[in-house]
Amino acid sequence: MKGLIKGLGVTFKNMTKKKVTYAYPDVPIEMPERFRGIQHLDPEKCIVCNQCARICPTECITLVGKPNPDPEKKVKVLDTFDINFEICILCDLCTEVCPTEAIVMTRNFELSTYSRDDLMKDMQWLYGNNTNVRKENNAATAKGGAK
Amino acid sequence: MVRTEELLLNVGPQHPSTHGVFRVVVKLDGEVITEATPVMGYLHRGTEKLAEDLTYTQIIPYTDRMDYVSAMTNNYVLVNAVEKLMQIEIPERAQFLRLIVMELQRIASHMVWWGTYLLDIGAMSPFLFAFRDREQIINLFNELSGARLTYNYMRVGGVKWDAPDGWIDKVRRFVSYMKEKLEEYHALVSGNEIFLSRIKGVGKYSAQDAIDFGLSGANLRCTGVKRDLRKDEPYCIYDRFEFDVPVGTNGDCYDRYMVRLEEMRQSLRILEQAVEQFPEGGEIMGKVSRVIRPPAGEIYAAIESPRGEIGCYIVSNGKDKPYRLKFRRPSFVNLQILPKLLVGETMTNLVTILGSIDIVVGEVDC
Amino acid sequence: MGDLLHENLSWRLVGIFSFWAAVMMVIVLVFVTYAIYFERKVIGWMQARKGPNRVGPLGLLQTVADVLKLLIKEDTIPKKADRPFFILAPVIVFVPSFAVIATIPFAENLYHASLNVGMLYYAALSSISTIGIVLGGWASNNKYALLGGMRSAAQMISYEIPLVISVVGVIMMTGTLNLHTIASAQAGGFWHWNFLPQIVGFIVFIIAAVSELNRTPFDLPEAESELVAGYHVEYSGFRFAFFMLAEYVYVFAIASLATVLFLGGWDAPLPFLNFIPGIVWFILKFASFVFFLFWIRATFPRIRIDQLMGLGWKVLLPLALINIVITAVYMEIAK
Repeated sequence: MKGLIKGLGVTFKNMTKKKVTYAYPDVPIEMPERFRGIQHLDPEKCIVCNQCARICPTECITLVGKPNPDPEKKVKVLDTFDINFEICILCDLCTEVCPTEAIVMTRNFELSTYSRDDLMKDMQWLYGNNTNVRKENNAATAKGGAK
Repeated sequence: MVRTEELLLNVGPQHPSTHGVFRVVVKLDGEVITEATPVMGYLHRGTEKLAEDLTYTQIIPYTDRMDYVSAMTNNYVLVNAVEKLMQIEIPERAQFLRLIVMELQRIASHMVWWGTYLLDIGAMSPFLFAFRDREQIINLFNELSGARLTYNYMRVGGVKWDAPDGWIDKVRRFVSYMKEKLEEYHALVSGNEIFLSRIKGVGKYSAQDAIDFGLSGANLRCTGVKRDLRKDEPYCIYDRFEFDVPVGTNGDCYDRYMVRLEEMRQSLRILEQAVEQFPEGGEIMGKVSRVIRPPAGEIYAAIESPRGEIGCYIVSNGKDKPYRLKFRRPSFVNLQILPKLLVGETMTNLVTILGSIDIVVGEVDC
Repeated sequence: MGDLLHENLSWRLVGIFSFWAAVMMVIVLVFVTYAIYFERKVIGWMQARKGPNRVGPLGLLQTVADVLKLLIKEDTIPKKADRPFFILAPVIVFVPSFAVIATIPFAENLYHASLNVGMLYYAALSSISTIGIVLGGWASNNKYALLGGMRSAAQMISYEIPLVISVVGVIMMTGTLNLHTIASAQAGGFWHWNFLPQIVGFIVFIIAAVSELNRTPFDLPEAESELVAGYHVEYSGFRFAFFMLAEYVYVFAIASLATVLFLGGWDAPLPFLNFIPGIVWFILKFASFVFFLFWIRATFPRIRIDQLMGLGWKVLLPLALINIVITAVYMEIAK
């Protein structure tokens, strides 16, 4: 009997405590600084080194470069850059290896669409996704760590 | 002519109590089970095969998704095996971060187990209490590594991120908060007579059976065998901390329950000491080349995950991708005793016993 | 109402009675709607979360939305099911639950009928619902529904016996089966209420009542995590709503019965508080009993079927019988 009554006491006391319900989606959730959300791309900074496409564990990044329109500079420029969000697992390895921080994560995570075709995001969309951009990006590579 | 037939019943892949897509085909004689055959493989994703084509850093996100309830220990088992093969020195601060994160993960995993086990038995409230408190751990991990469930946090040679400012204080506050909550969990459930009558004496097996079947973790310790890899084959810096290994006596569901709750208390003890001794500064990544090429050879390294002994066996031929990678998953091995335990039980006890073995189907199927 | 019952039957009387029965029906339906809402809210608060709060202001229209969903669902009847019985089963379960409310006195002058065998009427009618459950299980043409129906019937029959026997002590003390008289006999403050001298009977009554209602911790027939789903597995839409409605109307009936038999009916706990009308006290006691039922649901796990039968026959029945013996001995000595 005693165990039963103690249990009743615990649930009763919980009635007076603070509720932990989030009012999402009326109130947006604040994610912490390091949250790995959808990527943001800055095509100006990209040097088409292909490291992100090579490190991606699911091979969801496809990119094509083109010779620089400015004849002085030798560095290639991005022509197309697609991320297939059906298979991107937001693992953050692409931002870890990017030497110029052209691709960074943001803190947005709402990616639901009504059709799977809309999940293949191109350069335009990734450039436009520029709210809540994460500041710190290459922790491991900055210290000269592993690939 | 009255005739009784044996009924073949499918506790189907979709079922609220099988903790994932897992199927048990039972032969029933009235209400009593005469034979039970687990059928697994509904969640097989080919992690080990995929790993033959990925570099070691690329495999780390895949290990997260094996035992998704305790992802940090999965990360560690792979990274540990590679580091042992390459004989890399890990800096002090990275060791501490790894230890703190793994112990927090152990508490979170046991909370998920506790909540869902009690939900199967019929009590609805402990589930919500467990998840409310686990939310705090998940938020800590979110601040540390950027994700709530699949962290991709450890790297060969160290960890990816350093602890942000104030994080260690948050861990300290969580430890004291959790100590009170653990008392509340005991008050709510552990003395409850209905609960006790449901799990005492159910699903018993002897220590010899446990050793023969290769069980590990709480499933082995509930029979009285005191084996915990953190004490017997210390890895990381576990040998610097004082903690006890709780052991049961009878080998029934009640002992497994109490052993796991005691493990949570011991984890809190380790966390307290680790937070005290946390080094001020230091590197979080050791001296590792950009491309990880372990020397040719093979290694098996095992650690103690919340479910038991998880091990990683790597055969390397000198390249940056493994030749063969195999994970010894505790849930897969622990499940082997299920057919033996279920013979002679009723359907109600099937749910109780399956819950107490604590399987995660992602790990059973890999 | 009492005077009306003594007049000769006429069309006017039939009209008045039907009108008051309809009023009672509306009250009971409103109760069911808000009992479901409050159950979810209270259980939510006990679990550190808010209950329903999106549909309507403060979520008050949640049950309305749920019932609307059930009403617009397709009315499926399995092909090989026994059609007349399939359709009849929910009716048989629901009608007695509403019919027993006729004998319950809510206040000194608020009652529908003051039967001299009120308690017996209640016990007899509430047993009829069990037939409906077995019928529903049988008519579904589904072996799991049949098994679930049998289990549920076994549970309800085993717990009705301690339920009725635990009340015998109260009946002996008051000397009548008339619910109105039993309630009036407890007047004068809470030390006169029957739950104090009949504490054993009260506890047995509560446990048996929770089991009769198929609520946690005795909700094995409805447990989703068990393999054998309940007797209502083949029912969908409005027929399913009928079974749920019957359960909540029984909550109303048993809570009112507990209030009348053990908690003093419309009596105020302290005599000087008599200026507050009796119906308010009735509602307060009734609400606290229902809250207790919700509280138990949030806290306890489920009992296994064999332990449940063991509890009913080996613990509750002897306790109820011992209660009768002690009451009889005490009444002899106190005379």
